[in-house]
Amino acid sequence: MNLKGLLSSITIADKILLSLLILLSFSGILFIKEVLPKGCEVQIEVNGRLVYVLPIEDNRIVSVKGPEGRTVIEIKDNRLRVTESPCHNKLCIKQGWIESGAIVCLPNRVLITIGNREYSNIVDAITG
Amino acid sequence: MLLQDKYRIALLSAYAVALHAFESLLPTPIPWLRLGLANIITLVTLLLYGIRAAMVVTLIRVILASLFIGTFLGPAFILSLGGGVTSTLAMGLVLSVTPRLFSTIGLSLIGALFHNIAQLVLAYILFIQRIEAILLISPFIILIGALTGTVNGVISDLLIKNLKKTN
Repeated sequence: MNLKGLLSSITIADKILLSLLILLSFSGILFIKEVLPKGCEVQIEVNGRLVYVLPIEDNRIVSVKGPEGRTVIEIKDNRLRVTESPCHNKLCIKQGWIESGAIVCLPNRVLITIGNREYSNIVDAITG
Repeated sequence: MLLQDKYRIALLSAYAVALHAFESLLPTPIPWLRLGLANIITLVTLLLYGIRAAMVVTLIRVILASLFIGTFLGPAFILSLGGGVTSTLAMGLVLSVTPRLFSTIGLSLIGALFHNIAQLVLAYILFIQRIEAILLISPFIILIGALTGTVNGVISDLLIKNLKKTN
């Protein structure tokens, strides 16, 4: 093993290439999410039926009717929360503002998710 | 081509097939993470016997190894073939245009980079068709390629120096 000979055979171009690749990938990891289009939408399901699909950019207040009564959802500044719910433990209201993920209100059968509808159809696996 | 060289190329192909098949047995934390050990053999062949020999070794390796693993003509085979051929061409091209600019390690990095680019493009065209998913995963793949490319380059360099010494 001749490590010294190896180090001397490394050229400047090698070092530049390696640093460029590392720099490129790190900046890619950091910044790619900013560049990508958000394309997120809010989906509101009541009793398993999709009743609303709204862009998260819209600031608005939506009211849906479930088996127990009225659930009010507020969408504001790319996030959302449940402001009113007829349910007993009010977990959905306590969850507060969310930017991603979901809020579920089981008693009133309301499911609010933030995501892209297309993603739900993504392929699970391809067998060779 | 000398008869002796033909034997050597056959031997190198056998090594490449063995490394490729061995690598597919290694468990990896992420499914698409590969060490690219077979690229060591491609690089050694390229530097010792030229681009044609390297391409022959790559083709033999991809076809035989996929037959052994059982992925022949499947998606993994297409990705493997595209990546292998592109990286061999890229390394051969760089070597013939500027033979002294990059050392073995630089060539290995170029090979790893083009292997990954080719696979990402093929995956996009054939399987995923979702540019944001490809863009999201590319930086990680390029980073891992840079690391494995460096390690493979060091191994290739040591191998070539030792082979030249014994001749």
